[in-house]
Amino acid sequence: MTSQHTIRRRMAATTPVVLALLLLVFVLAALALGDRAIARMAAETLIRVTMVVGFWIFVGNSGVVSFGHAAFGCIGAYVSAWLTLKPEMKATLLPGLPEMIAAADWHVLPAAVAGGAVAALVALVTGAAILRLSGIAASIATFAFLAMVNTIWANWTSVTGGTSSVVGLDRYVNPWVALGWAVAAILVATLHAAAASGLALRATREDEVAAAASGIDRFRHRLLAYTLSAFFCGAGGALIGHFIGVINPDGFYLSLTFLMLAMLVIGGVGSLSGAVVGVLALSIAVEALVRMEKGVSIGAATFALPPGSQEIILAVAMILILIFRPSGLMAGREVMLPARWVAGRASTET
Amino acid sequence: MPKLGVYDLAVRYGKLTAISDLSFAVAEGERVFISGPNGAGKSSLLSAIAGAVRAAHGRIEMDGEILSGLGPESIARRGLSMVPEGRRIFSGLTVLENLSVGTGMRNDRSAVAEDLEIAYTAFPILRERAKSPAGNLSGGQQQMLAIARALMTNPKVMLVDEPSLGLAPKVVDEVYDRLCQLQALRALTLVIVEQSSARAARVGGRMLLMRGGRIVADGDAASFAARDLLTEAYFGDAA
Repeated sequence: MTSQHTIRRRMAATTPVVLALLLLVFVLAALALGDRAIARMAAETLIRVTMVVGFWIFVGNSGVVSFGHAAFGCIGAYVSAWLTLKPEMKATLLPGLPEMIAAADWHVLPAAVAGGAVAALVALVTGAAILRLSGIAASIATFAFLAMVNTIWANWTSVTGGTSSVVGLDRYVNPWVALGWAVAAILVATLHAAAASGLALRATREDEVAAAASGIDRFRHRLLAYTLSAFFCGAGGALIGHFIGVINPDGFYLSLTFLMLAMLVIGGVGSLSGAVVGVLALSIAVEALVRMEKGVSIGAATFALPPGSQEIILAVAMILILIFRPSGLMAGREVMLPARWVAGRASTET
Repeated sequence: MPKLGVYDLAVRYGKLTAISDLSFAVAEGERVFISGPNGAGKSSLLSAIAGAVRAAHGRIEMDGEILSGLGPESIARRGLSMVPEGRRIFSGLTVLENLSVGTGMRNDRSAVAEDLEIAYTAFPILRERAKSPAGNLSGGQQQMLAIARALMTNPKVMLVDEPSLGLAPKVVDEVYDRLCQLQALRALTLVIVEQSSARAARVGGRMLLMRGGRIVADGDAASFAARDLLTEAYFGDAA
């Protein structure tokens, strides 16, 4: 019996490895196709994996739906822009920045980490108020937070550039950089879920009363997950900025919120693998539909979907999944290596 | 000093009074049944002691330390653990995860392993099903898991709310057998809500009879069942 448990434990430990390999294969396949548009799609997908895995750390374990995580992406993106743009550019574009930031000329990697860290700090402070609320009230408060961040960013023109875009970000993000961040997010999510705090948070998700009776301080575990989660959404936001080169507060508002939620719902909020698979499935589907909208040549004829059909098809797909597979593509399961692959050493031990 | 003391307790839900002017004390190692008709305030009493419901008035003490006003998680950390009504296991988590949840606050790793062994010995089915989702267990097994989970927080006092609810009489026998074994083994102080005074008499211990938010009788459970047939008839007997 012990050996069976050992095998199960080993299988569970393979999940992050399998997910990382899956993403690696995805990048290699995208690059092998030699199409620049596909390589860009791969990088964008992996940035989303970073953000959605971050998102999952909180939503998946706590069971509280957050509408506010796109705002952490916004914060991360602007922090990285503030720290990496050339000082002379900032003097004209963003005259209101404090001197220390205006003079900063950071390397891109520490700037992305700083983007995540500032987002995490904001999560720690705002979460201290929001996460004391229960269930639906907490979700609505996160939505209010999203709206607040968007309004501040759209109107504090001297610091954020307002609704006009901030341009000129160093476009260093390629599929490999994004892969590195995605794998880091997967590792942290795995460690958190396996730690006592992750388990305690899932217990509060299952039954608040019983969790409290087991000595669990729901607020503390929620706040930790919220902060960790904001870090990866913030870092992901910084990556988006340095992938496109241009940022705008509305790029981190409702459509991003909807996209992140849709990816989590389609993959299945019940497991980390669900988060990753949801991003891959949706990103590939979007890419395919966009191409079909542009037109596909078969022989002499060209077929094209009418513009806008991409959004409609995706919305229909999401509704169908909610009806026929409400717990998502992965239905709460994790991908892992089969038992016989990991059984070898385990069985000799017992 | 009593192990657990409740003094002038009142619990209200809005304008509705569930408990008023209620006092009693429980000695260390004692087994106390709380019985009475529906709506007598039995579950409210347990919830108030565990901190899940805030008392409107009164004082609750364990070993002389005041518990009233603390949150349920702080009370659990001080060694008072509740097995809630309807079991409320974490059905999406595995059996082992259910048992591990209560140990998150403990630093005594080797004692945790010992307690897990005690729980597994008392309820062998839990060892067998350790890796399966707790939601797949039968009602009786879920009740055993809820008790084992409470035990994993290393309690001195354990409150059990209607362990017999919805279980076949034979399963109820088993649950009580194990509960009494664990009490002896861990020197637990037990407070159990039990509808059936006949059941309480069979298991043995002290019984508090509640009605309308007050304690109306306090004595040996066996004497209740023999003496007060009228009460028995009035309150009904589920077992």
